[in-house]
Amino acid sequence: MSKPQGSSVKERAETALKDEFLVNAVKFTTEKLKNGKKAATAEHGNWEEWRERGRQIRAHTIAHLDYYLNQFVDHARAQGVHVHFAPEAKDAARIAVEIAKHKQAKSVVKSKSMVSEEVHINEAFEGIGIESIESDLGEYIIQLANEPPSHIIIPAIHKNRYQIADLLSKEAGETLAPDTKILAGFARRKLRDKFLEADIGLTGANFGIAESGSIVIFENEGNARMVSTVPKTQITLMGMERLIPTWDDLEVMATLLPRSATGQKLTVYMSGITGPRRTADGDGPEEMHIIIVDNGRSLQLGDPDFQELLNCIRCGACLNACPVYRHIGGHSYPGTYSGPIGAVLTPALNKNTEEWQDIANASSLCGACYEACPVKIPLHDMLVYLRNRKVERGYTTAGEKLAMKGFKMLMKSSGRFKQAVKLGQTGQKLLVRDGYIRSQFGPLKGWTAYRHIPALPSRSFRERWPQLDAEVGASLPPMPEAMKSRMESIVAGRKERGTKR
Amino acid sequence: MNTSDPSFLAKMEQQSREQQKRFIGHIANRLGRGGAGDSRKPEHPYRGAPEFWNRYELTHEERIERFMGNWRAAGGHTERVAGWEELSGVVTRILQEHGAQSTIRHDLPELAGLRLEQQLPELAHRVWNGQDPDASLAAAAYTDAGIVLVDDAVAYTGSLVVTSSAEKGRSVSLLPNLLIAIVPTERMKTRLGEVMGRLSCSAGEGLPAGVHFISGPSRSSDIENDLTIGVHGPGIAYALIVG
Repeated sequence: MSKPQGSSVKERAETALKDEFLVNAVKFTTEKLKNGKKAATAEHGNWEEWRERGRQIRAHTIAHLDYYLNQFVDHARAQGVHVHFAPEAKDAARIAVEIAKHKQAKSVVKSKSMVSEEVHINEAFEGIGIESIESDLGEYIIQLANEPPSHIIIPAIHKNRYQIADLLSKEAGETLAPDTKILAGFARRKLRDKFLEADIGLTGANFGIAESGSIVIFENEGNARMVSTVPKTQITLMGMERLIPTWDDLEVMATLLPRSATGQKLTVYMSGITGPRRTADGDGPEEMHIIIVDNGRSLQLGDPDFQELLNCIRCGACLNACPVYRHIGGHSYPGTYSGPIGAVLTPALNKNTEEWQDIANASSLCGACYEACPVKIPLHDMLVYLRNRKVERGYTTAGEKLAMKGFKMLMKSSGRFKQAVKLGQTGQKLLVRDGYIRSQFGPLKGWTAYRHIPALPSRSFRERWPQLDAEVGASLPPMPEAMKSRMESIVAGRKERGTKR
Repeated sequence: MNTSDPSFLAKMEQQSREQQKRFIGHIANRLGRGGAGDSRKPEHPYRGAPEFWNRYELTHEERIERFMGNWRAAGGHTERVAGWEELSGVVTRILQEHGAQSTIRHDLPELAGLRLEQQLPELAHRVWNGQDPDASLAAAAYTDAGIVLVDDAVAYTGSLVVTSSAEKGRSVSLLPNLLIAIVPTERMKTRLGEVMGRLSCSAGEGLPAGVHFISGPSRSSDIENDLTIGVHGPGIAYALIVG
């Protein structure tokens, strides 16, 4: 799969920002999804109570993941499912390939699954000559373009209908008009044949239900139902943290997930699949495999800063809310997952702080992601923890280290600080025009390339303070006696208890 | 090859059980518990929806009205039919309106009672047959209309619930482009939780292999956010409420 151009977030973002269609499409789509969520949550009401319940259920499950995984596996096996465990991505791909080889499969048809992107399952199948076809319309388009998804919910957000018509025309062997109905109609016919031919259906899982060993899939097109109905063998890839304890808990997830993702009350299809077809059933898979994937997830367990990351239900609401994602789009992020969740999840799963060090900096820490999150994951705090770890492990540039040392020295002494301000006031004279510094060189370039820095005023705040203090004191009306004595008694009380505030 | 060699599956099973101990043991370790994981059932004080929600209830008529509103808003068609006697005529009319040439239905007495074979003898009619799975599936893939009787409906989300069995193929509500779902009014619930509660009670024993919630016609917005109906599943979806 072709990687986005550029090795740093900045380079990739610069490429993205030059693509006018992409910039507008990302803005339009995220706005639409965000407004959809806003309307749906307002209509449903009591959203904060639902969010809190969602957080409680997810946090509880993760805290007892060992118990619930064993329970899930026992029940799935009792229904005739073959369960497998993949500590790493390559193990998951190996197991899936082994099953496909044994089946002498010629083709696999897939529904949307983020974990399969992590595992690079298409490449693994293609490597042994098995055709692997994405059946979600958006995923099918980007598979033809040989690109990774740029949004969790709408993977082909960055492609326009002309580009899509070109891709599908090549596949059709005739020119298709750039009309949504014609393009979708072609995909329906083409993929219908693929569903009927495929030896194996491969799905992801939004949730696994521990009490019955069932998997649950949310979707709008019906392709995941196809994949789990028509082929004789089904393989499901599931992240090990996808569990919820009971069907009752699914009501909460079904309330939070579609509303947060697209603003729907429920996706068109929500399917609970419990084992392969029963003996008398006429459809559904005859053989069912579930591959449970760790791939870095267990590294978050027991880590107080990052365990909550496993609560994520993959709705994409944080992408739509994020001012950074909304500008630069999904391909500016380095891994499978983009936006705020990707910025934290990618380095957390890979545990290579050094390699992904720049992604944690691509955030203004505004907290919009936390506000949007239906299970209240504090992503903005986690970005700070990531930055912190980067510094602790020494992955900072020599320039940054030197600057911080200088800053420390300066701030430790008021005399030095005063002198530095004086020096700045004199030194800036060469650069200031109309009260601003506009020059784009030197250590300030990162700032001045896009903004002007206001010049240091001729008198600093500290120099003005004695005068300001006198003015404020003179303009305030005297405090009423009752209030004054109350304040004094509070202060006295604090002194007695020894508290600082 | 459809069925795997038992020795292949047995070998994978053995590997899986060995791996399970390490895999879950590792999780238990990370969570600060030793051994192969916690074997005691944890207290789950936050099970299901918030308490206030479980008291939410709509009247019989409100449920029907709410369901119909939601189903229409999702792009589906819905009609209320006074009784089973009238239903046959309504289904016949819908099939004719959409120019359907063929039908497939769940193998249930209520649907046989529609007597479509007599009403529309010029159409090809088929009944789902779990005994003849490949033929049933192939037929469903090239049939115009699928007719199902739902297990439940949920007013608040505008959803139908269909489950799989020998008589009720999953394909019938999925492969044909025209879906006609029959909803007896007494099966209409207010909340999703009412259906979930029942599924939870059957967990571990009597659950059907497939439980499908359907909330309108198949849709996608993957091409420039332009809504497309009927991408893989049925593009025309009728919910006929009986009673």
